[in-house]
Order: sequence, then C-alpha cells, then structure tokens
Amino acid sequence: MTDVAIRGLSKSFGTNRVLKALDLTVPSRQFVTLLGPSGCGKTTLLRLIAGLEQPTEGEIRFGERRVDGLPPGERNIAMVFQSYALYPTMDVARNIGYGLEVRGTPKAERRERVGAVAKVLEILHLLGRKPRELSGGQRQRVALGRAMVRKPDIFLMDEPLSNLDAKLRAAMRGELRRFHLDLGTTTIYVTHDQLEAMTMSDLVVVMNEGVVQQIGTPEEVYARPANLFVAGFIGTPPMNLIPARNEGGRVTVEGHPLPVAAPAGAPAELILGIRPQDVSMATPGEPGTIPGKVWMVELIGSERLIEVEIAPKVRVTAEVRASHRAALDDAVAVRLDPAQIHLFDPASGQALPREAVREVGARPA
Amino acid sequence: MLPLLVSVALFLVWPIVEAIRLSFVRYNPLRPDDQPFVWFDNYLFVLEDPLFWESFRQALVWTGISTLAQAVIGVGLALLLHQPLRGINAFRGLLLFPYIVPTVVIALNWRWLFNAEIGIVNHLLLSAGIISERVAWLSTPDMAMASAILLNVWKYTPFVVIVVLARLQTIPTELYDAAKVDGAGAIRRFRDITLPQLAEVLAVVVVFRTIWTFNKFEEIYLLTRGGPGTSTYNLALYAFDQAMANLRMGVGAASGVIMLGLLLAGSLLYIRLTGFGREDRAA
Repeated sequence: MTDVAIRGLSKSFGTNRVLKALDLTVPSRQFVTLLGPSGCGKTTLLRLIAGLEQPTEGEIRFGERRVDGLPPGERNIAMVFQSYALYPTMDVARNIGYGLEVRGTPKAERRERVGAVAKVLEILHLLGRKPRELSGGQRQRVALGRAMVRKPDIFLMDEPLSNLDAKLRAAMRGELRRFHLDLGTTTIYVTHDQLEAMTMSDLVVVMNEGVVQQIGTPEEVYARPANLFVAGFIGTPPMNLIPARNEGGRVTVEGHPLPVAAPAGAPAELILGIRPQDVSMATPGEPGTIPGKVWMVELIGSERLIEVEIAPKVRVTAEVRASHRAALDDAVAVRLDPAQIHLFDPASGQALPREAVREVGARPA
Repeated sequence: MLPLLVSVALFLVWPIVEAIRLSFVRYNPLRPDDQPFVWFDNYLFVLEDPLFWESFRQALVWTGISTLAQAVIGVGLALLLHQPLRGINAFRGLLLFPYIVPTVVIALNWRWLFNAEIGIVNHLLLSAGIISERVAWLSTPDMAMASAILLNVWKYTPFVVIVVLARLQTIPTELYDAAKVDGAGAIRRFRDITLPQLAEVLAVVVVFRTIWTFNKFEEIYLLTRGGPGTSTYNLALYAFDQAMANLRMGVGAASGVIMLGLLLAGSLLYIRLTGFGREDRAA
C-alpha cells in the first residue's frame, strides 16, 4: 500500500500562484478529502498528483518512489472525473477495460477482470451499451469500474458526485465509502461539499487560496477549527464569528462579560466563534447572557434559526427547536455555551489554544 | 412555411425539372422555336461519346485525389491549429485567406506562378537544384491535372480545417486526461478518442467536398481550359462544352442529369457505409 508525500509543492499559471509551497502527507489506505471553496487549488493539487499538470516547484512521492516528472500512465493511479469522462464511442466493457487494453493485457484476462468489476458494481447488464445510453448514476458506476479494474495504488476522485441528483448522491456517498473500506486503496477525494467530506473521510484537508488550512479527522476540523477560515467554512449553518474583548483575562462581548477566561497572552481584541447549535435563547437580564433584539427568524425543518442583533451590525444566530416562537424585534437574550466557545486572534486569524479557554464563574453584570 | 415552399419551388425544384425537360429535347439556342422531343437521344449521344467517358475518368481522378488530400491535410492542419499556443488565433484567421480570394484571381496568379518559362515555381525549384530542367506544369496532361488538383486543394482545404477544428474544440479535454491516466500515448489518444469523434464530421465534409469538387468548373476552365487537349476535362467542362461551344443544350442538360444521378447514388452509398447518423438513432 502506498502513502503520498508532498513536499514544498508550488504551481503557478502565469503570474497566478495556485499552490503555495504545499506540504501534505496522505497516509496509506486512508480516504482523504481535499475540501475548500472554488479556486482554492484543490483540483490543481489532484491533477498534480495525477501527473496531468507539472509542478512549478516541489516534489511528490508515492511511497519511496518519486513520481513528479512521470507521465500519468506510469504512476499506477486511477482517476474519476467530475464529468466521468467516459469514452463516448466505446461501449461500457471497452471503457472499463481500456486501461488494460493500452497496457497490453490479453483479451481473455481483460474480459474476466472487466466482468468481475462489473459484477461488484452491478452493471453486468450494461456492458454492451454506449455511455450516452446510460443514466447519470450508471455512468458514475462505469467511471468507478474503470478506476477499479486496474487495481491502482491510489484512487483520485475529482468531485465525482457533483453531477448526480441529491438522492442518488446520498446513496453513492455510502457506496463509495463501502468500496473504499473493501478495497483499502489510498484515496484522495476532491470536493467543495462539506457533507461529503464529513461523511466519507478518514482525514479532511481544508484548503484555501493554495494553502492547507488544517488537516484533521472530520471531528477535529469541526470541533477544533485551527483558524477563522476553517471555523467559517465548516458547519451548517455557519459558525457565529463576533468581535469580543479580553478585559483583564475575562472575555466580554459588547461590554457583557461571559463566563469564560481569555488564555494567557491573548490580545485585547478577540474574535469569538460559536456554532448556532451552542447558542440558546434566554430572558433579558439573566446573568451571563447578552441582550438583543430578534432580527430574523427562519424555519429549517425541525429547527428554527433565530438571528439576534446584540449591537448595530453584530448578530448572533441561535439554532433552537422549531416549537420555539419568536417575533421580529422582540427583546430577547442569548446564552453562549461556555464549553463550546472558540477564540481567535483577529490579526493572525489563528485559534487561541483551546485548553486555555476556561470556564469561570459568572459575576453579576 | 409559404416563403420556404415558394423559394424551394422557384430555386430548387424548377431548375431541376427544367434541366430534366431540356435533356429530352433537341435545343439549339440559335433556333429557339424548334425544340423537338427526342426521347433518350441526348443520353445515347452522351453515353456513346468517347469524350464523355474520358471526362468521367478524369473527373474521378480530379475529385478523388482532391477530396482525399483535402481531408488528410485538413485534419492535420486542424490538429496543429488546435494547439493552445500564444497567437494561434492569428493563424486560424489567416487560414481563411485562400477561401476568401476569388477563384479567378487565384487561377490567373497560378498560371503566372506555374508558367514554364517565366514562372516563379520553376525558377525556385531550379535555383534550389530540385529540378534540372523546366517543368511544363500546365502543358503536359499529367502535370496540368496535378496543378489543377493542387489549386483545388490549396483553395478548399481551409473549409475542412474550419469544420474539423470546430469539432475538435467540442471534444472534452477530460477525455484526454482520462486516456492519459489509462496510459494511452499521443498516437493511441488520436486513434481511440480524436478520430472516432471526428468520424461523423468527416463523413459530412467528404460528401460536401466530393459533390462540390465533382461539379467544379471554374478552376479548371480558368487554369487550363480543359487542356492540354482534353486532358483536364471533367463532366462539368464536358457539359459546358456541349451546351455552349457545340450549341447542343439538350446534350449538356443530359450530362448534367447524369452527374446529378451519379452524385445522388454516390452520396447515399457513402453515407450508408460510414453509418452517419446511426449513433443518434440508437440513443
């Protein structure tokens, strides 16, 4: 099995630096997701690993073998493309077996291996069809079959589910994960959909502007975002990020002290992050709460989002049960769960050490 | 709908019907009132005329070599122009040049270029030492045909390039990426991806180029006037010769109708053989 080590990898298109001295290790047999917004460089990174682009600087190793400089066909990788990229003039069997055909595998062995993969993917009855005669989900399976049949060292997947409808996408997420667990092949998966990243990955690599922002398990990037970008990008609805102050070791928001101590050495100005699920509604005047006015109410199914304006242009969203009623401009207060508060340095954007965010007893406001 | 019917009737149906009618009468324009119906006499005249058969053979050579050369060179140039190089658009634009210049201008220029005594082609080839004596480009039968074909290929290859280039630009680049990952080299990628995708458009191009070249009149007429002798006659020149020089309008019309029949049969056969449109029906 093969791990992927990337050292100091840069890629520029003209004057546009898409990847900036990127370091990354993808452990063997893991399902690793590259997650980030459009233009963050995740697809470029995948194409560099595939060999479809040449790096400007840096090196890529598969295990002990240095591969940058090798053409894609010599890297023993398989790739699933966003559009599936099935060869339109070949039938399904030849599409799946094309990589074997190019490598000169005998016809009988080719047929056997294509048949075996088709059976696993339940597309045996489609082998004689052309891609245009297939549905989106079937094309997806053929593309997977083409990747699986060569028994590659590494699977590369470029947003393979983004062309499917929502229901099929949910089903395929589970199947992809299942295939990965069965095959145990190192997989690098590119997506901008955090739900896909969260549900399928062993490790999530959050990228922005050509730089890795955080590498961690889905739980880690969700529960302990390393910086403001990750905090704002991961989680739906997005985390509240509001200005706060460090007043003599005590965190205050708009002059209201919170039952949270600032870590030693924290700057005077802070940014406080808290997920809407960790904000609850309270009665104004209760200690440790922040008063405000209801600014917007949205029903999202079983939950309701209440946006509370605690100061001009400063709003906190609380996710509460749908049964909780609130009218616009009601005077309310929000309570932030002290254990779930994240603090960031506004200058660097980095999270302050979490161990140091201690809960302290509320003192009367 | 009505404007369509009227224009089709006026500009498509009527000329064909009139040509067919004319092919069954004897019509000398000098005696326009005397148009006796002669059954198949005009067709018999044509089929018994050795010059018709000579023209037919020469038309096949002229059309076959021209079309093949245009298709091969056209695909090659289109592949070159498909490369994403800086300034490539200038070349794509320049390519239209032969297609834009009127045939009469080109033909007259070529007659100067290929002139055996004072033409620049002979001068250059002699200076470069490629030939040791002057080549009579337009006054020996084989060379005259070759020159006419060269002119046709030069002028109409851009048409093939434009059509093929347009098709190339619609082939998703992800297909080539997938083939690279599958380990296919440049030649295999061309054979397995590019060529099958070009098959349909090439079928159309070849049919069009065949029809247009087979019917071509002005290039040969302007360059060689069918000569030397009758060595570059094709059927269009033959029909013109019968109708205009010999004043046998009926015979000219009959050869035109024969050409129509040949092209119709040939196109249908070719389209059937290449399977054009079959993929769409299967979908």
